[in-house]
Parts: sequence; structure tokens; C-alpha cells
Amino acid sequence: MSNQLLETILLMTVVTYGARVLPFLLFKGKNVQGFARDFIELVPIALLAALVIPELVTPNGTIVIIHNPFLWAGLLTFLFTKFVPNLFLGIIFGMTVFWGLDKLLL
Amino acid sequence: MNGEIPLEGSRGFTYGLRQSLTIVIGYAPVAVTFGLLATQFGLTYWEAGLMSFFVYAGASQFIAIEMLHQGASPVMIGLTTLIVNIRHLLMSLSVVPYFSERTLPWSLALAQGLTDETFVLNSKVLKDVAGEENRRRVMLGINLGAFSSWFVFTLLGGLIGKWLPIQFSGFQFALLSLFIILTTMSLSKKNYLTYLLAAILAIVFKLLIPGKIYLILSVALAAGIGAWWRKREGR
Repeated sequence: MSNQLLETILLMTVVTYGARVLPFLLFKGKNVQGFARDFIELVPIALLAALVIPELVTPNGTIVIIHNPFLWAGLLTFLFTKFVPNLFLGIIFGMTVFWGLDKLLL
Repeated sequence: MNGEIPLEGSRGFTYGLRQSLTIVIGYAPVAVTFGLLATQFGLTYWEAGLMSFFVYAGASQFIAIEMLHQGASPVMIGLTTLIVNIRHLLMSLSVVPYFSERTLPWSLALAQGLTDETFVLNSKVLKDVAGEENRRRVMLGINLGAFSSWFVFTLLGGLIGKWLPIQFSGFQFALLSLFIILTTMSLSKKNYLTYLLAAILAIVFKLLIPGKIYLILSVALAAGIGAWWRKREGR
């Protein structure tokens, strides 16, 4: 295993386990309120946007609309999962549609 | 030890293990997908297993293999993992009151298995279990069941990826599909403006700034503005 992967796994473990264990070590049990709570609650959805949307709109570093299988496969997967909220089926659908559009559009 | 006494208050480890079955079934396909993708992205099956064993946090593991593939540094991936997983702090804070008499080993052990799914199940189950001793054992059972599933099925997925090296262009869209599904499952009236803001900021920053910094910048800004806005609205 490469040092880079080892270091990655180590850092990921430290920050993830840290977030899990700190309240057990430090608190008798009270809740975070106000701005901090809202911020932490909003992070996952903001992250999903930041992970997905740029990949769909700018797959090669510039904005592409028509000849862009990522964008169209993404939109179709959005629609599909809105009606079929199943993790496994959604992944199968997304991969298949992308594969088809990739053949058609390039 | 206490599973033999058929009383209401005697729920223990095996009870927790049985309760974890829904999560065990739910984790299996996702973990297989992770193992399979990890091998497609250049990890070995046991490296994928190692990541599942130690990190044990679904979304961030998928993000990590994608970032590794794109050549991101460990520090960059660590920071991204931190922002993805900081929410565990909230979940942990909210189960801690069930264990006011806990010892250090119990604290270390119970914290290990806290995920979105085990948190939801534990919160539901624990409030009906009398006695802190019993609650610890129930939570340990729930956590261990879920954890074993995640670990074992990651290895299985990795082995499938190793023995059946499939060439299929659709794989490069698997992660995006997964994230899109998670998005449609979590978008609501209360957070869609933050989502839109993060999307626009991420596109702009990605075009302007080289590297992966745009992820952290856009997420921190959008969540910050979103939280500030909620506070201003007084909700």
C-alpha cells in the first residue's frame, strides 16, 4: 500500500472518529444550538451540490451544455430518483443512461 | 448473560444485534458498490476493506476514492472528510445522555459505531430500554451488526471487482448517481436555497481556482450564509 493511501486513511479515521468520540469524552449531554447547529446541518446538502453540479456542468473545465453526457445523465438521474428513491436502482439507472448517452453524444 | 431472563428490562446485546438487521440489509449493496468502485479506481480489495474498517463512513469513503483518483493530497481529503463527517458530533451529542455512567472503554467502543443509520435506529430503540447497562449492550449490538455488514460487504465488492474486471464507461457515473440519489433524498424546503447557492459558488470557484479548494470554499460559504439567513429569519 502506498504511503499516500495510508496517510489518507489515517487522517480520515482521526477526523471521523474524533467527531464521534469527543462528545462521549467531554459532555454529560447537551445540545449544540443556534448558528453552529444550523451550519452543521446545512453542510451535507451544500457538499452534495459542490460535488455534483460542477462535475455535470463543467466536466472538462469549461461549461458544456449540448454535447455533455454528464449533464443529461445527471438531469435524468435526478428525475428518476425523485420517483424511485432507491439507492441501488438509482446507481444502475445513472450508469446505464450515462453509458448510452456517452455513446450517442461523442 | 442477561438474554435468558424473559423480562421487559432485560434487553441486551443479542436484542441489539437482531434490531440491526434492517441496517445490515441496507448497507450490503452500498458496501458492495464501494468495494467494486474502489477496485475500479485503483485500490486493492483489502485496501478498500481497510478503509471501511477504520473510517467506516459511507459518503466520505466514496468521495475519498474519487479524490484519490484525481490526485488530491491526503490533507485535502482529510479536510473534506472533516467537513463531511462533522455532523457526527451532533449525533454523538444527542445519544450521550443515554449513558451518563459510562466508563472510558464503553465511550470509546460505543462512539466507534455511530453512523447516520445506527444513530437513527439507536435513538428509536434506546428510549424503550430500561437501565444503562442494558442500553450499552443494545447499542453495541446494533453498532456491531451494522459495522460487520459494512466491512464484510466491502471486501465482497472488492473481490468481485478483482475477479471480474469489467470495462464499462458507466462506472465513471456511479458516484455521481449515488450523490444525486442522496440529494433527492435530503433536499427540502428548508435547505434548497443553500443547495443552489453552493452549486453556483462551486461552479464559479472551480472555473477560477485550480485544484480542489473550490469544494471546501463553496461548502463553507454556502452553509455559513444559509445558517446566518436562518438565524436572521428567527427560525
